[in-house]
Amino acid sequence: MRRLRPSGAGPLAWCGILLATTLALYLFQQVLWLVLPFLFGLIAYYFLAYPMQRLMFAGLSQESAANITVGVFALLLVGAFAFMLPRFAAQAVGVQETGMRYLQGGLLLLDQTLRALEQQSRFMRDAHVADAVSSYIAAAGEGFAQNRLPSLMMSVAAWLPSMLLAPFLAYFFLRDGRRFQRFLARAVPNAYFERTLHLLYEVDRTTRAYFQGLVKLTVLDAVCLAAGLWVIGLSSPLTLGIITAVLAWISFVGSVIGCALVVMVAATDFPGSPSIAYASIGLFILVRLLDDFIFMPLTIGRSLRMHPLITVLMIFVGGAVAGVAGLLLVLPVLGVIMVIGETLSIVASDPRLRARHAHARRLRWQAVTRDL
Amino acid sequence: MRLFGRHDAHEAPHPLRQIKLFSTLSRREMPVVQALRHERSYLAGEVVFDEGDDGEAIYAIVSGEVEILRHDGGRQQRLALLAAGEVFGELALLDQAPRAAQARATADCVLVVFFRADFMNLLETHPKIASKIALSLARHLGGRLRQANAGQRQDGHL
Repeated sequence: MRRLRPSGAGPLAWCGILLATTLALYLFQQVLWLVLPFLFGLIAYYFLAYPMQRLMFAGLSQESAANITVGVFALLLVGAFAFMLPRFAAQAVGVQETGMRYLQGGLLLLDQTLRALEQQSRFMRDAHVADAVSSYIAAAGEGFAQNRLPSLMMSVAAWLPSMLLAPFLAYFFLRDGRRFQRFLARAVPNAYFERTLHLLYEVDRTTRAYFQGLVKLTVLDAVCLAAGLWVIGLSSPLTLGIITAVLAWISFVGSVIGCALVVMVAATDFPGSPSIAYASIGLFILVRLLDDFIFMPLTIGRSLRMHPLITVLMIFVGGAVAGVAGLLLVLPVLGVIMVIGETLSIVASDPRLRARHAHARRLRWQAVTRDL
Repeated sequence: MRLFGRHDAHEAPHPLRQIKLFSTLSRREMPVVQALRHERSYLAGEVVFDEGDDGEAIYAIVSGEVEILRHDGGRQQRLALLAAGEVFGELALLDQAPRAAQARATADCVLVVFFRADFMNLLETHPKIASKIALSLARHLGGRLRQANAGQRQDGHL
């Protein structure tokens, strides 16, 4: 039997996908206190799914396996927290002082660089660029400390309790994830059933591949940066590598912040030799290039199967619509909505599936009205 | 779309032991496979899948009957009539080729469905269970091939 088979999402469906992604990012920004724990819960779910499966194979039920897996994970978290908290509390003042020292070191390097450029360029010298930038940064820093910092600290403090949701969400994903998938599939008419199973599988595959790719990318970035920083001779290269690799989760902005962080450390640790700071910038650009052209296509890019132009475009849209949260969420949200949109457009444009569903409804109607 | 489940949603799941494909699994292994199953009800005359559909799942009959049909030009040819305990659509587990025939319920029936991707996942997470099922499947296909060679049935290509 010959079938009219739709080949994929058309331009209209793609407009819908991009629009839905933008709308979702805007809405997620409004409930970020819920979205972030959900995101971390999802990462924990994909991280814990494998040990839970091993426990199930050892003969435990899904519920018992989920209880044990999340229980051990929670104990490890509490243990790590209990171990780190006293150390962090003891060094809290020191951390603040160190932070200020590194900030001053970074500003000093910037000032030195601009003054060196002024000596080379008459235009910059006439424009008093170094003085203008220094006074702007001083004013911005003061304004930030007075106006933005307290509200930022308050909002972070308000978010912290909601982050406790993450392990709970991971637990329920592990315990009831498959049940929820079956519940969703049961709600779908027979004609669309196999397509829906495929859709659910694709959504799961996309999110799993994205988050696993993200973890792999973070490890690769952290290792490369740590090795590079160690060669350059910076202090705590591994810590810096991990922090900057995690910051890179936020597209563009995260990398810039990470780079600034490393440059500040380099400028403070080696105040007399700006070449170390420039070498750090060179290392960052090198890792960024490796990231964009080798690591990213091998990890996240492969998982999302997305055209690079759409990816870059949506990163800008995400940043414009939802700020830093948008930059963080845009790729996984776009990946999931893309899978849903493509499948829905294929199903909606398949006349045979619609005809089968109409036939099944007629049969059901005949069955319930037979003796009336 | 049924948002609040079906009337049989809270009933106990049908045992898989009566289905030949899973008859070799132990009591410890059975819950792993039970967790993967979906249960569907079809009315007499309802199409389960069409010839040319992407094969995403394998079906097993818990109750009722299903006929396997092939459309040759304008003519409809029945290849097989399957009863409770039998499976169909099994080639979906092996390849991603389109369905070679149509499956239609001839009586009201309950089917358990296993999604191919779940089976592929089972190969990685529970290779022992997956190999038992694969062996049963190979035996089942071999039986169908022998029947087809003997001219009794022609449904060895689902």
